[in-house]
Amino acid sequence: MQIPWRAAPRAALSSPLTLLVSVVTALLLSFVVAAAVLHSAASGSAAIDYQQRQLCQESLHPSLESTVGVPHEYVADGVKAVTEAMAGHPTLIGMYTREKRTDFGGKQTLAKFGYRAGAMDHLKVLEGGGKDGLWVPQSIAVTTDLRLGERGLGGRLPPVTAIYADVIDPLPGWWCSERHFVVPNVLDRDELATAVVWMPSAESFYALPPEVTGPTDITVRFPADVPRTVDEAAALLTGGTARIAPIKDSFNRTISLLDLPVENARQTAVNVRSAVLPLTLISLLIGLAGVATVTVQWAQRRQAELRLLWVRGSGPVALGGRGVLELGLPLVVGGAAGLGAARLLLPVYAPSVVLPPGTVSTAALAVVVVVASSIVVTFATGALRTHRMFQVAGRGNRLRKVLTALPWELATAALAVWAWDRVQDSGLATTTTVGGLPRIDAAALAFPLLVVLTVALLTARLAKWALAASHRARLWSKPAAQLAIRRLAAGAGPVTGVLLVGVLAVGTIAVGSAIAGSQKTALEVKSGMYTGSDSYARISSEVTELPEALRGDSTIVGLVEQYDRTALVVDPKTFLEGAFPFEIDPALLHEPLRVGDVPRREVQLPGLPPIKPDKWVPSFPKLGTAGWVVPLDVIEDRDDIGSWYVWSRKPLAEMTSALAAAGVKFSRTVGVKEKAVQGLPFLTIQWTFGFVTALGAVLAVVASIALLLAVEVRRRQNALSGAFSARMGLGPAAMLRSHLFELGAVAGAAVVVGLAASAVSSGFTVPKLDPAPRLTPVPEVPNVVPLLVTTVAGSVAVVLVAAWIAVRAVRSAKIGELIRG
Amino acid sequence: MVEHVLRLREVGVDYRTPAGAVTAVSDVTLDVPATGLTVLAGPSGSGKSTLLRVLSLVERPTRGGVELRGMGTARLSSGARRKLRRRDIALVFQNPADNLIGHLDVGDNLRAAAQAAGRVVRVDEVLEQLGLPGTATWKVSAMSGGQQQRLSFGCALARQATVVLADEPTSQLDTSSADLVLETLADLARRGVPVVVASHDPRLIALADTRFDLRNGALAA
Repeated sequence: MQIPWRAAPRAALSSPLTLLVSVVTALLLSFVVAAAVLHSAASGSAAIDYQQRQLCQESLHPSLESTVGVPHEYVADGVKAVTEAMAGHPTLIGMYTREKRTDFGGKQTLAKFGYRAGAMDHLKVLEGGGKDGLWVPQSIAVTTDLRLGERGLGGRLPPVTAIYADVIDPLPGWWCSERHFVVPNVLDRDELATAVVWMPSAESFYALPPEVTGPTDITVRFPADVPRTVDEAAALLTGGTARIAPIKDSFNRTISLLDLPVENARQTAVNVRSAVLPLTLISLLIGLAGVATVTVQWAQRRQAELRLLWVRGSGPVALGGRGVLELGLPLVVGGAAGLGAARLLLPVYAPSVVLPPGTVSTAALAVVVVVASSIVVTFATGALRTHRMFQVAGRGNRLRKVLTALPWELATAALAVWAWDRVQDSGLATTTTVGGLPRIDAAALAFPLLVVLTVALLTARLAKWALAASHRARLWSKPAAQLAIRRLAAGAGPVTGVLLVGVLAVGTIAVGSAIAGSQKTALEVKSGMYTGSDSYARISSEVTELPEALRGDSTIVGLVEQYDRTALVVDPKTFLEGAFPFEIDPALLHEPLRVGDVPRREVQLPGLPPIKPDKWVPSFPKLGTAGWVVPLDVIEDRDDIGSWYVWSRKPLAEMTSALAAAGVKFSRTVGVKEKAVQGLPFLTIQWTFGFVTALGAVLAVVASIALLLAVEVRRRQNALSGAFSARMGLGPAAMLRSHLFELGAVAGAAVVVGLAASAVSSGFTVPKLDPAPRLTPVPEVPNVVPLLVTTVAGSVAVVLVAAWIAVRAVRSAKIGELIRG
Repeated sequence: MVEHVLRLREVGVDYRTPAGAVTAVSDVTLDVPATGLTVLAGPSGSGKSTLLRVLSLVERPTRGGVELRGMGTARLSSGARRKLRRRDIALVFQNPADNLIGHLDVGDNLRAAAQAAGRVVRVDEVLEQLGLPGTATWKVSAMSGGQQQRLSFGCALARQATVVLADEPTSQLDTSSADLVLETLADLARRGVPVVVASHDPRLIALADTRFDLRNGALAA
C-alpha cells in the first residue's frame, strides 16, 4: 500500500470536525438499526411479561388436574405413581376432598379436607401454628366455635393446631393455581361452599375417616421460574408438555396457559418489527445520505491531495479507497458506540429490558451490515465524487439533476393514500384465534409517517423554490431580515436538507407521542369503562351498605341482564365515587337513563319496573353504548335483581380485605380493570409508536447537529459578511437579530410544519387505530401542549446556540482570515 | 530516439458556460522537444494553463490529438491515460501547497511521489540536489513557499518522469523564492529532463530553450 493510503487513518486526525461528524453519523445510524432490533425483541419479552401478569404464574408450566373425583382409597397410589414418574422434577401435588358434613366437637358443619406440601407456610395464622395438626379456616372455626386442641369426629381427626385466615381474592402467587379448590364460591354454591381444612401430612390425608372422604380432586403443578422471554416461555411450554405427557392420561384436565401467550408474544414481536421497519428504513436512508454528505465534504476538504494523487495516476476507485481508509475507522468506532448506546438506552426507549439470548448478537450483526453499507457508501461517494471532480470535470451532474427533479413527494403521497385505504379497510386486521392477537397492518400504521414524510419533502421543495426566488425580496429597510434571507438563499442546499430532516423529526416525534399516548389512554379508559371501576366483586343482594373502609371511593351496583339487554341499578349518592371517572351530570343519575343506541321505547327487564327514560347519555360504565340505568330507589325488591356488585376505585386486595373484615361475603366473581381487556394490541401500537418517537428524537439530534455544523462550516463566510455588514453600520444587536431570524426561520418552519402535519395525520389516524372498537370510548389525541412546549423550547435552544456560534465567528474573526476571504 | 516528447495536432478546447460554448484553445499545433525547458508564454486568459492540462493528459481536448513519445492518446481510455500519467508525467501546480501532501513529512512526500510511479527514491540525495538537505523529517508546513515549490519539483524528480510540466510555478513566490525555483528548473533542464512550463514570468521565459507564445487561445504568429 502506498504511503498516502497507509497514512490515511492518521490523516483523519488533521480534521477533528470531520472525524466527529463521521463518528456521530455512524453512531446515530447504527443506534437506529440496533435499537430497532433490540426494541422488537424486547417487545416480545414485554408481551410475555404483560400476559404473565394477566395469568397465574404457578400455572405457567403445563399442569394437570383430576376433577372427576378419584376414589379416596386410590389417591395414595395415584400420587405415588405421579411422584415416581416425575422423579427429579419439582412437583407440587394438591389433594382435596369434596365438602361433607363433619362433626367438630358436637357442632356439625360442611368441610372439605386438603393437603398440599408447604400449604401451611403460605397461610396467615390467626391462632396457634403447630404443623402437626389440623389447620382450620377462620370461617369454620367461627361457625363451629372450634378451639385449638379440639379434635373432630370423636377424636379420629388430628387435633386443631392452628386457625388461619381464609384465603381470599386476589390470591397470592402460591395459591392462584388452586383458586378453584381453596376459595369458596359462596354466592354460587351458598352454604355448600367452604374453605379447606388442611391436613398436616399426605399420610394423614390418606388416613382420613371414610365419612369425610369420597371423591377426591387432585392437582399436579410444576413450580418453575417465570419465563422472561418468548424463547424461555416457548421452552417452558414445550418442555412442560413433554414432561407431563407420560402421566397425562390419568387426569381429565390439562392446563396449558402459555399456548396463546407464546403465540401472541411472537406475533407482537413480528408486528412491532414490521411496524417500525418503514421508519427505520427511512432513517437508514437519511443516515446513509448523511454518510455520503460527510464524504462529499471530505472530498472537498481533501481536493488538493486527491487532485495530486489523481494527476499522479490514481483512479476514482483508489481515491474512493483513500476515503474509506480515512473515514472508515470513525465509522467503525461510531457503529460500535451506536450499538453500545442502543443497548445502554434500552430502558429509555424499549418496553422491556429483557432480551432473548442472541438478540444483541443480531443487533451487532445488523450494525456490522450498516457500518459495511456506510463504508460502501463512503467508497462509492468518494469514487464518484473524484470521478466527477477530475475525470469528467465541467460536465453537468445529470444524475443529481434527475434526482432533484423527481417528484418524490408525489410517490410518498401515493403511498400515503394507499396506506389510508388500508387504515379505512381495517386499521387492525381481525384475529384468527379466539383471544389471540389481531394481526396489525404495518402498512396502515405507516400512514401517519408517510403523511409527515410527504409534507417534509414538499416543504423542502417549496423552500428551495422560495429561496431561488428570494432575490426578488427587497427588504433593505430591514437589513437584518434582508441579510438573513440572502444567507439562507446562499446556503439553499444545506437549508433545505436541515428543513427536511427537521420537519421529519418534529413530525415523527409528534405523531409517535400522540398515537402512543392515545393508545395508553384508550386502554386505561376502555378497561375502566368495561369493568365499571378499578375493581369489582360480586356480593349478595342482602348487602345494602358499604363497609366503612370502602366509603367514599366505592359504590354498590345491580346488574340486570336479559339476552343482549343490560341495565344497571345505581346508587346516585355513591355511584360517581366508585365508578370509573366519566363525564355525566350527577342529576341525571336520579332518574332512569337510556344509554347509547338502545331504542327510545318502554322496556321491561327482570326485577325492574317498566321504564321509558326521557334522558339519554351516549355511554356509561359497564354498559358501553347500549343499556339502561336505573336509580336504586326505583326497584322494589333487591333480590329480584340479577346480581349485585361492589365497584371500587381501590385495588382489589384492599377492597376484598375490607369486605372480609366487615364480614361481607363475596363470590369468586371478582376482577380488576387491568385484566379485563386484552391490552396487547394497544400495547403493540404504543410500543411501535414509542419507538417512532425515539427515532424522531434521533432525527431531531441529526437536524440540530446539521444546523450547528452548517453554521460552523460557514464560519469564515459569516465572519466576512459580518465584517462587511458591520462596516456598513449594522450593529451587533441587529447582527444577532439577523442570525436569529435566519436560523429561527428554519427551525420555526420545521416545528410549525412538523406539528401541523402530525396534528392532521394523527387526528385522522388515532380514532381509526382502535384495537377494541366495541369498547368505548374511541381513542382520542392526547393533550399536545406539553409536547408543543418541549419542542419549541428545544428548537429555541438550538437556534440560540447556532446564532451564538454565528455571531462569535464574526467577533473572533482574525484580520488575516478576512483579508484572505 | 524520439525528438519530441509531446506533440499537439490542431488541438482545440471548448468549455460550456451558461452563456454558451467558450473556446479556450483553438487549433494549436506544436511539438515539445525531448530536452530542455519549453515555455508556454502568454498573458492571463491566453490558454496556457488549459494547454498544459491537455499536455499533461489531465484534460481531454475537444478536438485534435496529443502524442506522448510518439503514441497517440486520443483513443486511450481513462485508465490508459492514468497509466501514462503515472509513469511518464509529472505535473507541478501553481500553488506550492497543492503539490504536496500536508499531513506527510518531506521525506514521505518524496517517497509517495516515487511510489506512485513505481519507483524508489533516495530521499537525502534528492533533497541535497534541491538544496534542502536535512529536511526529510520536516513537516511541509514548516517550509517556506519557495522551499515547498522546490520540493514539488523534487517530487517530479523522484518520479523520474519522462516529462515535467509546471503551471506558473513562480507566480505565488517572492523574488528570492522564485529565484530558487528558476535554479531548480534550469538544473532539471540541464539533466536532460524535458520541462514544459506555462508562465508569464519574464525571467522564466528568458530561460526557455523553446518558447511558444499564446494569444487568445491560439499560437501567436
